[in-house]
Amino acid sequence: MSIFLQLLINGIIAGSIYALVAAGFSMIYATNRFIHFAHGTMVTASAYFLYWLFVMLGVNFYLASLLTIIFAGFLGWLTYVGFYKQLKKKKASNAVLLIASVGLLILMENLMLLIFGADVKSLNLLEINKGYEIGGAIITGLQIVIVVSALILLAGLFLFVRYSKLGKTMRAVADNPSLANILGINSDKIAQISFALGSAIAGFAAILIALEQNIEPVMGLNLIIKGFTGAIIGGATSLPGSILGSYLLGLAENFGIWYLPSGYKDAIAFVLLFIFLLIKPSGILGICKGVKE
Amino acid sequence: MFSAYIIHLLIIIGIFLILALSLNLTIGYTGLLNLAQIAFFGIGAYTSALLALQCWPWIFCFLLGGVLASLLSFILIFATRKLKGDYLAIATLGFAFVVYSILLNWTDLTRGPLGIPGIPKPKIDGLIFWPVNIYLILVIVVAAIIYFILHRLIKSRYGRLLEGVRDNEIGLAILGKNTFRLKYQSMMLAAFFAGLAGSLYAHYITYIDPSTFYLEDLILVLTIVIVGGLASLRGTVLASFIIILIPEILRFVDLPSSVLGPGRRIIYALILVLILLFKPRGIDGKVDLE
Repeated sequence: MSIFLQLLINGIIAGSIYALVAAGFSMIYATNRFIHFAHGTMVTASAYFLYWLFVMLGVNFYLASLLTIIFAGFLGWLTYVGFYKQLKKKKASNAVLLIASVGLLILMENLMLLIFGADVKSLNLLEINKGYEIGGAIITGLQIVIVVSALILLAGLFLFVRYSKLGKTMRAVADNPSLANILGINSDKIAQISFALGSAIAGFAAILIALEQNIEPVMGLNLIIKGFTGAIIGGATSLPGSILGSYLLGLAENFGIWYLPSGYKDAIAFVLLFIFLLIKPSGILGICKGVKE
Repeated sequence: MFSAYIIHLLIIIGIFLILALSLNLTIGYTGLLNLAQIAFFGIGAYTSALLALQCWPWIFCFLLGGVLASLLSFILIFATRKLKGDYLAIATLGFAFVVYSILLNWTDLTRGPLGIPGIPKPKIDGLIFWPVNIYLILVIVVAAIIYFILHRLIKSRYGRLLEGVRDNEIGLAILGKNTFRLKYQSMMLAAFFAGLAGSLYAHYITYIDPSTFYLEDLILVLTIVIVGGLASLRGTVLASFIIILIPEILRFVDLPSSVLGPGRRIIYALILVLILLFKPRGIDGKVDLE
């Protein structure tokens, strides 16, 4: 029973991180309709930015965190305006955008490897991280903070997309881009906002990851695979779907290693991604058919 | 010493040329945005290496590497037969990730991250291919045969049908052609060649580990194909030389090895991103990437 509870808790913690990555990815995907694979490096770049401010420059942690979120949003906006928009102007297909995005991911990952080195970095903010016991399972205070803050942010995001005017506009673009254009919605502006906002969420995820784990140059790829898989499982165009899918992925991974060697944790995500793409590419809550005409 | 370095570069160019030619058959000629080619390269390398360690004759290892890659590619293309464009790309990329994590985790077979050392050099009837210049001739012969086969194939009626799958699949189906058969045949041939390239790589380097068969080397091959141009064999040949030789400049600027690896990958990725931005058809591309 305590193993079950521990795996459940671990699954929810992993799911919270994945959900933050997936939520930003999904927001960008829904309004732009191409796969922004480089979203993973937004997290890595933000985590290093936080490390640079907090450890190397000694800035106050809360101020550094706020600056990290702003930095992430700016970096995402810059990626869209400076890169994707230029490609779109040349009528690049989704396939070109995807490959360009993978190229960008490799480029940024190796730049960070060059600047910060291959060794893992850590914030060392919380030296003693006391664990709480719930029915035989252990959860640390930091992990409670991660789950709760992720849930609050995701709930806020959900309400924003559901009820605010901007959120409704974004959903309109996601639902039917050409109709939204006819109604005078500036889709370019919406794309810029979604890149900035989606990447800012990635920046928030980066702070939590930097606190809980170590910072590595190569973590972006792993994170985008998980976030992307979560988004596909739940429906990449739907924000609640992506969040749901990410929690399901976190649970599936952690319960999966009850039966499989723990090395197969990543393989579970890949296999789920593959299966969903084949059987139900629109995901559990997706609003449109994933197979392109 | 210098000539040994040149021979090494030529062997690497030859191996990646085979891989890039095979990728161009699927992406360029058949219009299948297949990102799993690096996995077939890996399957060929591992199959060949493991069989060679069981003392199988080299030629069987070499061919079986290609055959197994080819069979697995059929499973992949059968499973993904309804997907197109970026969805096919992501599904095939997912397949590449699955293969990578199996190579990493099936430690009883692959020794996982430790890799497989001591892969024997190829031999045929006691004639040992050890001197690198003879290995270079082997690689050149294999690459030339594959180039010749692909060249004849795409100039033939069959090649036109493959391009028909890329340009107008529905139209071809209306004309009564089995487009799925064309797709899996193209994919299986490409995977066979990629498997052969993997085998050549494994027996040349004599040590393989899963990290060689992951996203970073996929980007290298994709860069070669896109720089050379889709549906252009000549372009792919030229681009293989250019893309593999350019980062070699770093070697002459006395850099520490911790800078060399990332520097090389930054160059590949930068070339890829810039070519997509400024010259998306590459050197000699016939079609756009859809």
